[in-house]
Amino acid sequence: MHELALTHEIVAIVCQAAGDRRVHRVTLEVGERSCATPESIAFCFDVIARGTCAEGARLDICRTDGDDLMVTTMEIEEAA
Amino acid sequence: MMCGHCGCGGPDHEHEHEDGTRHSHSHSHAHGHTHTPTTLVELQTRVLAKNDAIAARNRAWFAGREMLAINLVSSPGAGKTTLLERTIRDLHGQYDIGVLEGDQATSLDRDRVAATGAPVIQVNTGTGCHLEADQVARGLNELRPAPRSILLIENVGNLVCPAMFDLGERAKVVILSVTEGDDKPLKYPHMFRAAPLMLINKIDLLPHVDFDVARVTASARDVNPAIAAIGLSARTGEGMQQWYDWLRREWTVATEAAFA
Ligand SMILES: Nc1nc2c(ncn2[C@@H]2O[C@H](COP(=O)(O)OP(=O)(O)OP(=O)(O)O)[C@@H](O)[C@H]2O)c(=O)[nH]1
Ligand SMILES: [Mg+2]
Repeated sequence: MHELALTHEIVAIVCQAAGDRRVHRVTLEVGERSCATPESIAFCFDVIARGTCAEGARLDICRTDGDDLMVTTMEIEEAA
Repeated sequence: MMCGHCGCGGPDHEHEHEDGTRHSHSHSHAHGHTHTPTTLVELQTRVLAKNDAIAARNRAWFAGREMLAINLVSSPGAGKTTLLERTIRDLHGQYDIGVLEGDQATSLDRDRVAATGAPVIQVNTGTGCHLEADQVARGLNELRPAPRSILLIENVGNLVCPAMFDLGERAKVVILSVTEGDDKPLKYPHMFRAAPLMLINKIDLLPHVDFDVARVTASARDVNPAIAAIGLSARTGEGMQQWYDWLRREWTVATEAAFA
């Protein structure tokens, strides 16, 4: 279950970039040869995001045929 | 917004959702249907970027000390610790060997290795199913291995997760024992792809099991054409010399590379 560690990292990357703004959506790219299972990341995400700036955010996962695992974009609330 | 970065874009395309279902949708709105105006932020950040940066630092640390670091990976019980014990005893006086033991729990393996007299520290990963680069970095701080020594890292017994995490090692060595079945390289291709060497352990048991060494070597080469294979028994010592020869070559390169 390395997806647990990976998802922690995903949430950390997103929250660091978001500052204290709420994250509504995260887009992730999961390569075929990345050795990560999209379903497991999706499963972990809700739980790990709880209590962070990404709580309740939607996670869109895009499969690619590469070997990378990347957080590509996020949607955050506009600065007040 | 579609995921246009991965080439699967176009406004009407399939998305994978949190619940694991796939469906198409043509417009964007958060599922919680909030009406807060949002801004799109480009991140393009590799999830393992932090681990890889620490691994690169470890690698530089090893290079600066002209050390050889090897990451031993296998499923539980393939014989990593037995191989370590024998290797340390057989090479005693030829190399300084230090060991970093990774297990979810207990210090049993550390105690076994400590009995050989080699410096060893145990890292417990708790729920973690693999070692990560920062655990190795912290371990090095404690172990303080000598320049020109060999660091053998015993990863958590697991043929899946450790493949993803670079620790800064010169090479991963995957150990497969003959009691595990000869279909493993095809079932766990990531690990066999990540290792330049496969040790086939417990060959003393070959007469008792259905395990085809030629077939396992061929299937390992299907996923990684460059992989070398050595059959050995950490119990009887058969074949161990070839492993020591491989280690010596890697050590020579690692210790000379510093001046290259
Ligand atoms: N017959 C035989 N048994 C072996 C050999 N190598 C290891 N064993 C036995 O296999 C069992 C597991 O060996 P370990 O060295 O503890 O395996 P490990 O990979 O370190 O296990 P974990 O750390 O729990 O993942 C022990 O009972 C060893 O004695 C071998 O070459 N031949
Ligand atoms: Mg062990």
